[in-house]
Amino acid sequence: MKSRIKENIAAYCFLLPTIIIFLSLVLIPLLSSFVLSFTKWNFISGLKGIKFVGFDNFVKLSKDAYFISAIKNTLIYTITTVPIIIAVALGLAYILNGKIYFKKTMRLAFFIPYVCSAVAVSVVFKMLFREDGPINMVLQNVFQVENLPRWFSDGSINKIPIILFVIWTSIGYGLIIYMAALQNISSSIYEAADIDGATGWKKFIKITVPLISPTTFYLLVVRLIAVFKIFTSINVMTYSQITKYNTSVVSRIVEEAFTHYNFGYASAESFILFIIIMIITIFNFIGQKKWVHY
Amino acid sequence: MKLKKIPYKTIIKTVILGIFAFLFLLPLFWMLSASLKTPVNVLDYPIEWIPKDIQWKNYARIWTNEQMPFTRVYMNSLFVAFFSLLGQLAFASMAAFAFAKLDFKGKNIVFMALLASMMIPTESTIIPCFMLFKTLGLYNHLSAIILPTWFNVSTIFMLRQFYYGLPNDLMEAAKIDGAGFFRIWGQVYLPLTKPALVSAGILGFISTWNAYLPPLIYLVDKKKYTISLGIRFWLVDDAREYNMMMAAAASAIVPMIILVIACQKYFVEGIAMAGMKE
Repeated sequence: MKSRIKENIAAYCFLLPTIIIFLSLVLIPLLSSFVLSFTKWNFISGLKGIKFVGFDNFVKLSKDAYFISAIKNTLIYTITTVPIIIAVALGLAYILNGKIYFKKTMRLAFFIPYVCSAVAVSVVFKMLFREDGPINMVLQNVFQVENLPRWFSDGSINKIPIILFVIWTSIGYGLIIYMAALQNISSSIYEAADIDGATGWKKFIKITVPLISPTTFYLLVVRLIAVFKIFTSINVMTYSQITKYNTSVVSRIVEEAFTHYNFGYASAESFILFIIIMIITIFNFIGQKKWVHY
Repeated sequence: MKLKKIPYKTIIKTVILGIFAFLFLLPLFWMLSASLKTPVNVLDYPIEWIPKDIQWKNYARIWTNEQMPFTRVYMNSLFVAFFSLLGQLAFASMAAFAFAKLDFKGKNIVFMALLASMMIPTESTIIPCFMLFKTLGLYNHLSAIILPTWFNVSTIFMLRQFYYGLPNDLMEAAKIDGAGFFRIWGQVYLPLTKPALVSAGILGFISTWNAYLPPLIYLVDKKKYTISLGIRFWLVDDAREYNMMMAAAASAIVPMIILVIACQKYFVEGIAMAGMKE
């Protein structure tokens, strides 16, 4: 009996640092952010400046063209990048797991962008996509394009450098996870398929894709959430050129909070971000049962 | 004697994927070549991949620049990475041990609460955290960047899985020897989790090293800038020194690439282990 109490005390001692940080830097801030979202408060005015405004912030947000397009853009970034990342990563992992030379070197090549500093790579992309940058030079001189695209200022295309950045930096992560998962598929399943005379493509679609679906699910959740929080690449690449056409939800929160110090309004935005991420996660876990084979 | 068949198919596959891999890294090659040019030559066409007169002094400027020397920026980033990892790994190990090896009231509730917090993006809590750190006098202080990293659910989860795999007999044996729970954890179990700690450490290192938003809002003093802000410093500069921008980017990227090549095995295992959550 005494030892049970001792174990309980010990367990909570082990958990103490984690619980303290969880409460003080995650849970209480989340609740505060919820409370703040019903206030109008400019941080500079001090605590006295807080004013309760009920649902005003949310009403304002529903009409805020900038915020609405930020949500739209963020959805576009997510929809355009995640499927490509997953498909390319799976394809590459499948090929690299088969008969091929320099396996490790090639895996490394695809993996490198993932570990590179996002700010550094964004600076590089910003240069590559300049109006007089190397990409446009190649378009002009090799492909004879006359009206060179203005990658960052033209609202119809200024998501493209950011989309490419996200895909480029995320493939390596998916590749590593898929390669590990593919190694766990027993080769006897493929051998049985060989006897049945299945071709390479058929084996891939009928065996690999279903067997790998738990990994695909994991990647889908992780990537959806990561892209939904997109900020660094946009902030760096569109430095001084951020527009309604490329801004994201987090970019809006940061600008509203730390440029204008509208903490109340920004909290409402950040609470909406939380709700969206929560919906994505829950939706995925419900949907998982339908197509993931364990 | 039979002639060995030449594996044409494998060779063709290797060549095609090799070209693809090469193209994939082209942006980084361009960065390196631009970082070694004079400012006027950066945007020259045709692209001169290996510059005629190589400007090593661009790197000398980046690393010893008076306002923003990369030596200092690196020290700050290493400081942040070291203490972030130390706290994160220690606290996550303790929590993981409790969840996997101890029996206590409320275990499932606490675990579910922590797990659910995976849905809370740090961006949603950043405003109250900012207020808290400002009140505590940690604004413009590296600890404002370090402290939040000490709680990481993924690390706890990953280590917990690892502790599950370790035998319970060790605990019983140590108990008979009269060891307390803290000693059982630190002396018996912790050393056995080294592979998982290395993997978690690598993932943590990548994310703290590349962090951008926290330094951006917490650090104002240039002396405290971390690597991400150090690169940004060259972006703000209106001098059109594109070569310097690329040299700053390369100074952040190249050491990381060398590290990855040297420890490829650990990086790969670390990421793969984080993905195995079934």
